[in-house]
Amino acid sequence: MSDEAVVTMTGVAKRFGGVVALAGVDFSVRAGEVHALLGENGAGKSTLINVLSGVITDYEGTVAVDGSPVRFAGPAAAQAAGIATIHQELDLVPGLSVAENLVLGREPRTRLRTVDRRAMLRTAREQLGRLGADLDPRRLLGSLRVGEQQLVEIAKALLLDARVLIMDEPTAALADAEVRRLFATIAGLRREGVGVVYISHRMEEIEQIADRATVLRNGSVAGTVRPGETDRGRIISLMVGRSAESLFDVAAAPDGPADREPLLEVDALSVRPKTVRPGRSEPTGVTLTVGAGEIVGLAGLMGAGRTELLETLFGAGSPGRRSGTVRLGGQPYAPRNPRAALRSGVGFVPEDRRRSALVLAHPTGRSIALAALGSLSTLGVVRRGRERAAVRGKMAELAIKAASAAAPVGSLSGGNQQKVIFARQLLVRPRLLLLDEPTRGVDIGAKAEIYRLLHRLAADGMGILLASSELPELLGVCDRVVVLRRGAVAADLTAADSTAEDILAAAMGVAVAGKDSR
Amino acid sequence: MTDTRTPPGEEVAPAAGTVGLRGTAARWVHRPRSRRELLDRLFAVQSLFALVVVFVVAIAVSPRRGGEILFLDGGNLGNIVRAVSEIGIIAVGMTFVILLGGIDLSVGAILGLSAVGTATLMVDSGYGILPAVVVVLAIGLLFGALQGYATARLGIQSFIVTLAGLQVARGLARIWSGGLGIPIAYGDGPKEAPPAFEFLNGSINGVVPVPAVLFIAIGVAAIVVLRTTAFARHVYAIGGNEKAAKLSGVPVTRVKVAVFAIAGLLAAVAGIIHAGQLNQGSPNDGAGYELDAIAAVVIGGTSLAGGSGSMGGTLAGALLLGILNNILALNNIDANVQLLIKGLVIVAAAALQKLRNTVA
Repeated sequence: MSDEAVVTMTGVAKRFGGVVALAGVDFSVRAGEVHALLGENGAGKSTLINVLSGVITDYEGTVAVDGSPVRFAGPAAAQAAGIATIHQELDLVPGLSVAENLVLGREPRTRLRTVDRRAMLRTAREQLGRLGADLDPRRLLGSLRVGEQQLVEIAKALLLDARVLIMDEPTAALADAEVRRLFATIAGLRREGVGVVYISHRMEEIEQIADRATVLRNGSVAGTVRPGETDRGRIISLMVGRSAESLFDVAAAPDGPADREPLLEVDALSVRPKTVRPGRSEPTGVTLTVGAGEIVGLAGLMGAGRTELLETLFGAGSPGRRSGTVRLGGQPYAPRNPRAALRSGVGFVPEDRRRSALVLAHPTGRSIALAALGSLSTLGVVRRGRERAAVRGKMAELAIKAASAAAPVGSLSGGNQQKVIFARQLLVRPRLLLLDEPTRGVDIGAKAEIYRLLHRLAADGMGILLASSELPELLGVCDRVVVLRRGAVAADLTAADSTAEDILAAAMGVAVAGKDSR
Repeated sequence: MTDTRTPPGEEVAPAAGTVGLRGTAARWVHRPRSRRELLDRLFAVQSLFALVVVFVVAIAVSPRRGGEILFLDGGNLGNIVRAVSEIGIIAVGMTFVILLGGIDLSVGAILGLSAVGTATLMVDSGYGILPAVVVVLAIGLLFGALQGYATARLGIQSFIVTLAGLQVARGLARIWSGGLGIPIAYGDGPKEAPPAFEFLNGSINGVVPVPAVLFIAIGVAAIVVLRTTAFARHVYAIGGNEKAAKLSGVPVTRVKVAVFAIAGLLAAVAGIIHAGQLNQGSPNDGAGYELDAIAAVVIGGTSLAGGSGSMGGTLAGALLLGILNNILALNNIDANVQLLIKGLVIVAAAALQKLRNTVA
């Protein structure tokens, strides 16, 4: 390892609207080093690598390659400068062979301008051999396992003379044996002088392969450490910080859990899906309760199975065999589809507004009324007056700011779009509300409003299960926090007695000195 | 489609069931503040506007006889609507399907099957008008519903399902008719259809053709359904974002089955009218009608991506195609050139929509 940095980022800052994603970050990658990037969700890791890989072009600060400042016009420019990115979702064509994928867009030609298959296969064998990958380049890419596909992606990057390789959670979808092989490959890259930026939540991996680890927190560098020599607890406290949040003005002290009637009782719920989808963690023996009037948080790393659990509880999970029991208000509850869930009094605010909840071109009023049309109609004809009154009522109650109820949802701010989805769910008067990242992409003001709304709903006796990646949010808003790890419950914590460190430690499967997590 | 503009359905029918729309409509009328808003207003009535333009142009280029504009002759106007009535009725069903984000290629074949069915049942099987009509309508409805079920439950794209349905319906029609056209003779004897069936070929007061009346009635009913019912909202929601609709408790399967059933039923209605107008039912009837219906829907401003569009636009689109055909025929323009011009009009309509997407 030389001390010469291939890439140096100095004072890089980026804001999205009013939100500061990066606040002056210094970061460098040396030739032949593995530099891990750590941080909570939303700490700025993605933004940082997006700047480095040319995806984000309007940032402040400088990026320098070999000491001379550059400003990439786009990902292609970054690639040309030797910075390649291996995304979680690989950029390969499943219908082409390994060799064809490797030379895609730069196929060697014969004199007749046809593809020189022999040269193509030779190049492919060379590259794969360099990585120690024992793969037949003639095989169809789609027939390879994920780990093998990843090797192809790495080989493709090296073929472009990559000097810095950014790997975003490369082991998330890999089996153990594949992880070992990947690490062997990374060791080989290091010997060849390639710098690797390694993003992962898995502490043991980082200790194993990273030379340095930079911890990001709220868009700033919280510290750079040598992973093998640093206590895990210290790294976690670097990730969490001690920032107090004043957003959560819990009006009244929550009732003790003892005097709450259980509303949702989940006992040993598991789902064995018909088709296993990579990156998904289905519920695995999940046991938890949500009382009437209680707000229970659902914590966990990306891919820990929070969304999958909520979807299962809403009848929208992966099809497959379920085991365990779920009771709602004492009655057995196993919704076949979202319609049945809504009828049982369960509402759901999904994570991805644009993909799962809204038609941006449709009018706000219609979007709010969509789930409640049954009760707003007589013999299938929508009663305009009743609908108008209901929509107006909810828009006023939630302070939804729109030019009018006819304005397309897409013209509203993120926070107001989120409130539209809340309004839609509340219009069907649920007993239990399932929320998946309800404050993502929402400005501070709307966040506070959503928190106040949640407390008001809970005070009225609604049970709320709130999945969130923001630890302060979970601790500030919830009565209890259930931590998921790989689909299973890793800890069930009382918010008042817990810290962000406790949650993160449980989510990462790390024992922190002095604290116990299941 | 996930851009932020108002769906055309809202624009053509701005009062479609949403609060505060009166204010919006008023704003459109009184203060076009920006160039963009002006464009919005223009596009909002795109198909209606185009219809008026084509109408005016038709008057201008119409041949005259003794100072009389032939195009405006009452009989001619009635004929235009009569000529488009079958395509128009099919296009009404097609609009539901396309709003849902699907496509139905089987409707022309269902029309053929229905025409054959009507003729065979009355002529060969000795059915009365009502039983024959009921059976044929039931077949169309069931055929469509099955296709809807296949799309919804098996998750096969409607393009594929209805492509298969097209073959099946055509095959059934050939088997049923023995591969030949079944002529309809009227009378009371055996192998004769009830003379009352001829009314489909007639006119009200000798001016307004019966098929035209049926087309307009069905079109108006569809406009009402699309504006007032929860079902219609569900159709728009599924077409706009199926996942969101499902998570909002919309009964996706049921709505899909219903929509394709409507398309099949209306194709059967068109088939019965077809048999009545031609006094026969042939297994090849209605070939390619599905494409003309799709053209009418597209000219009417409904997005093939689903979730945005209007029934009024489709009616205007169908009439526009009819006027176009008529005026070209009146001027003795070669039928092949007519096809060419029709193609250009479709492209122009689609281009206008694209322009709206990028500008507004």
